Amino acid sequence: MTTIVQPRPMLLTLALLLLVVIWLSLALGPVSLPLSETLLAGLRMLGLAVDGDTTQQAELILGQIRLPRTLLGIAVGAVLALSGVAMQGLFRNPLADPGLVGVSGGAALGAAIAIVGTSMLGGLPPAIEPYVLSVCAFVGGLLVTAVVYRFGRSNGQTNVATMLLAGVALTAMSGAGVGLFTYLADDATLRSLTFWNLGSLNGASYQRLWPLLIVVVGVALWLPRRASALNAMLLGESEARHLGFDVERIKLELVLCTALGVGAAVAAAGLIGFIGLVVPHLMRLLVGPDHRVLLPASLLAGAGLLLLADLIARLLLAPAELPIGIVTALIGAPFFLFLLVRGRS
Amino acid sequence: MRMKALLACAGLLLSQVANAAEPLPQRWVSAGGSLSEWVVALGGESKLVGVDSTSQYPRSLQQLPGIGYQRQLAAEGILTLKPDILVGSNEMGPPPVLEQLKAAGVRVKVLPAKADVPTLQHNLTELGELLGKQAEAKALIAGYEQRLQDQAARVKQAQQQQPAPRVMMLLSHSGGNLQVAGKDTLAAWMIQQAGGQSLGEHNGYKPVSNESLLALNPQVIIFAASRLHGDAARAALLEQNPVIAQTPAGRDGRVVVIDPTLLVGGLGPRLPDALAELTTAFYPTGKALTAGAGQ
Amino acid sequence: MLRANNLWVRRGHRTVLANIDLQLNPGEVLGVLGPNGAGKSTLLAALCGELPICEGSVDLDDRPLAVWPGQERARRLAVLPQSSSLNFGFSVNEVVGMGRLPHATGRVRDAEIVSQALSAADALHLAGRSYLALSGGERQRVHLARVLAQLWPGAEGQILLLDEPTSMLDPLHQHTILQAVRDFAERGAAVLVILHDLNLAARYCDQLLLLQEGLPHAFGPPADVLTADALAAVYGLQVLIQQHPERGHPLIIAR
Repeated sequence: MTTIVQPRPMLLTLALLLLVVIWLSLALGPVSLPLSETLLAGLRMLGLAVDGDTTQQAELILGQIRLPRTLLGIAVGAVLALSGVAMQGLFRNPLADPGLVGVSGGAALGAAIAIVGTSMLGGLPPAIEPYVLSVCAFVGGLLVTAVVYRFGRSNGQTNVATMLLAGVALTAMSGAGVGLFTYLADDATLRSLTFWNLGSLNGASYQRLWPLLIVVVGVALWLPRRASALNAMLLGESEARHLGFDVERIKLELVLCTALGVGAAVAAAGLIGFIGLVVPHLMRLLVGPDHRVLLPASLLAGAGLLLLADLIARLLLAPAELPIGIVTALIGAPFFLFLLVRGRS
Repeated sequence: MRMKALLACAGLLLSQVANAAEPLPQRWVSAGGSLSEWVVALGGESKLVGVDSTSQYPRSLQQLPGIGYQRQLAAEGILTLKPDILVGSNEMGPPPVLEQLKAAGVRVKVLPAKADVPTLQHNLTELGELLGKQAEAKALIAGYEQRLQDQAARVKQAQQQQPAPRVMMLLSHSGGNLQVAGKDTLAAWMIQQAGGQSLGEHNGYKPVSNESLLALNPQVIIFAASRLHGDAARAALLEQNPVIAQTPAGRDGRVVVIDPTLLVGGLGPRLPDALAELTTAFYPTGKALTAGAGQ
Repeated sequence: MLRANNLWVRRGHRTVLANIDLQLNPGEVLGVLGPNGAGKSTLLAALCGELPICEGSVDLDDRPLAVWPGQERARRLAVLPQSSSLNFGFSVNEVVGMGRLPHATGRVRDAEIVSQALSAADALHLAGRSYLALSGGERQRVHLARVLAQLWPGAEGQILLLDEPTSMLDPLHQHTILQAVRDFAERGAAVLVILHDLNLAARYCDQLLLLQEGLPHAFGPPADVLTADALAAVYGLQVLIQQHPERGHPLIIAR
C-alpha cells in the first residue's frame, strides 16, 4: 500500500536499536568498567544472586549514576519527540517545534526566577532547595502555554494561527524576562543560568525522576490514542470535523500534552533543542505521516537519539561534560539544513 | 619554658598518632580558584589529580585533567581520577553529584568561600590537617595576618599625608562591555584594604553607562582583563573605551592592571602582593612595602 | 434528509444569505448556481454546520444538526470542500482511507471500499502513489473518492455536499465525476453540488437553485430555472437557450 518501508519491521528495528543504545549508555562512560563487571552488577541489581567479583564502585556507577541517567534520557527524548509530533500535527506544519506554544520560553523564565531569586534570598532551606528550580520551570512552562492558548481562543474556538503568533510573542517576552534576571544575576548565578539553558542529564537521581516518568508515561499512552484524529487534522480542521472528530477538544489535548510533557522534561533536564523538531521529521521520512506508526517510531527514535547525544556529551571532554543541548544543536542543525536542501531537490 | 616545649612535643606526637589512625587523602581533586592555590602553597601540588576550570593559578595546574565548571561537576568523570577527596567551596554542584561521589567513597570537603580572614584561617587549618601540613598552615596564616597588618599600618601612615583616592574597579570579559565592581565584591574589599575609596554603590558586577563612569569621577582605575596583561591591556582599555581618557584616572595615567583570577574563590595567597601593588598605586609618594620585607 | 428553514447568515453588518428554505431529497442532485459572492459557499458552510446561523435552522432527520454526535453525523453527512491544504506525504490510499475513520468496518473491508471509491472517482490508477506527487486535478479526484468512501455505498438518508468538485478537472473528467455523483445519488443519497458551469449543471442536476446576492432568485428543474431572462438578470450575461440534441436538457450558449 505505502511506497515506503513497512511499518512493523521498522518499529521493530527502532526498538532493537533503542535497546542497543540503552546497553551502550549503561556500559560506556568515563570510568571504563570491564564488560563482565557491568553484566554482573546489572544482574545483581535485578535481584539475581550471582557469583563473581564486582567492586562496589561498579555497582554504584551502574546503579546510581548510569541507570538513572539512562532512564532520564529515555524519558526526556521520548516526550520531546512525541510533543514535536503533536505540535506538527496541531500546526499542520512539518517545521513546527514544541517551543512554539511558549512552553520552553516559560520554563526558561521560571528557571531564571528560581536561580536568581534563590541567590538573592541567600539560599533556601535544604529540604526544598533542590526542587525549587524544577517546580518553577514546570509552572513557568504551563503558565505561559496557558496564556498562549487563551489568546488563541475566541468564540469557543481555538485559532491555531493566532496561537502561533501569540506563542512567538510570549516566547520573546519570556526571553526579555530572562534577560532582566540575567542582568540582576551575579557572575556565579549567571553561569548557573547559562548552563541550565544548555541542558544536561547530569546528576540524575531516582528521586527527581519519578514525576517526569509519570508524565511521560501518561503522554506516551495518551497521544497514540489520538493517532487517527491527528491524521484527520492534517487534512484540515473542517475536514476533520466532518469526519466526526471533536477538533476543539483535540487541540486542547495536544496543547496540554505538550505543556505537561515538555514542561516536565525541561524542569528535569533544562532546555534541550532540536529533538522535538528533527526526530518527527526524520521519522516521517522513514515511516510516513500516518500517526499510528509515526508516534511510536518518534518515541523510540527520540529516546535513542538523546541517549546517543548524552553518550557523546559525557565522553568527549571527560572528566568534564559538555552540556547536551550543545550536542543536539551541533548534530540537529546541520542535519535539519540537509533535510531542507534534500526536500528542495 | 622546657615544660612548654615538652608538652608541645607530646601534643604533636599524640596528634600524629591520632591522625595515623586515619590515612591522609593522597589523591586530591580541587574545585575553586584560590583553594587550589592554597593547596599548592601548602605543598600539596603533587597530590592534585584534577582541578576545575576556575583553578588557573599557578600555571602548572593547567596541565592537570579538568573537571569542568565547579557548579556542573560530573560524578563519573571525577571518579575516573580515582580521588580520595574533593575539596571545593559551597558553590560546588549539582548536589546529587556530590551525593553520588560520597556514596562512592570519595570524601567531599566543602569549605566556605567568604572573603574574610576568619574564613581563611578556618580553611587553611582544615587544609593543613588534610594534607598533614599543620605547621605549614599555621605559618601561612601567621604570615598572612602579619602582612595584612603591615598593609593596614602602611595605609594608615599614607593617609596622613594624602586623602583616600576614589577608585573604580573595571572588569572586562574579552572585549565585551565593561562592568564596574559593586560594594559587596572582593574587589571592593581589596580597594578598601589598599586604602582606596571604592566607587560603585550597586551589588555585584554591573555594566555602567559612559556618562555614569564620568560622573563617578575615579582618580584611580583598576582593570582586570582576562586576555591581555600590563601595557597591552591598558592600551586596549583606552582604545575601546575612550571615555576613560576623560576621567582623572585616565588623564593622569593611573590605570592599574591586575589578574582577574585574584577575584575568584575567596582570599588567595597572591592577595597581599596585589594589595601592596595597589597601595603603591594609590599613594605614589608613600613608602613601598614589598613581599618579604617585615616591619 | 437535510432541511434548511428560513436560513439567515450575517457577517458583521452584511447579510450574506437570507430567506433560504431548502430540502435535500434522497436520490436527488441539487445544483447551486450564482455569480461570485452570491453566497453559494456560505450556503454550503451553513448547511454542514461550519458557519453560525443567525436565524433559522438546519435539521438532519428533523433533529438540529448541532445536536448530532460527531461520528454519527459523519456517517450520514460528508462534505467536499473547494480546495485542500493537505501538505503531508500520505499515500493516495491513506487519504481515501481517512474517509472510513467514522466507521468501524475493519481493515479488509475498508481497503475494498477505498478501491471501489477510487474507481468511481476515476482515480484507481493513482493508488499507491504519494499524494504530494499528484496534480491539482488528480488531488481533487482523490478527495472526492475520500468523501464517497465516507458514505459508501450510498443509501437513502445520506447527504453529500460538494463545493465545485470539477474546478480543476479536464473536460472528460468533469463529466465522469459528475456522472459518478449522479450514480451515487441513484443509490439513494441526497446530493448538493455547487457548480460554475451552467451546462454541467443543466445536464447532471435534478433541481437547481439560482442565488443572487444571498437571496434565492429561482428554484426548480433546470428547464425552469435556466431561462435567458433569469441568467441575464443574475449574471448580466446575454445567452441563447437551446435543447441538447441527444439528451434534451437545456444548453446555454453565450451570445
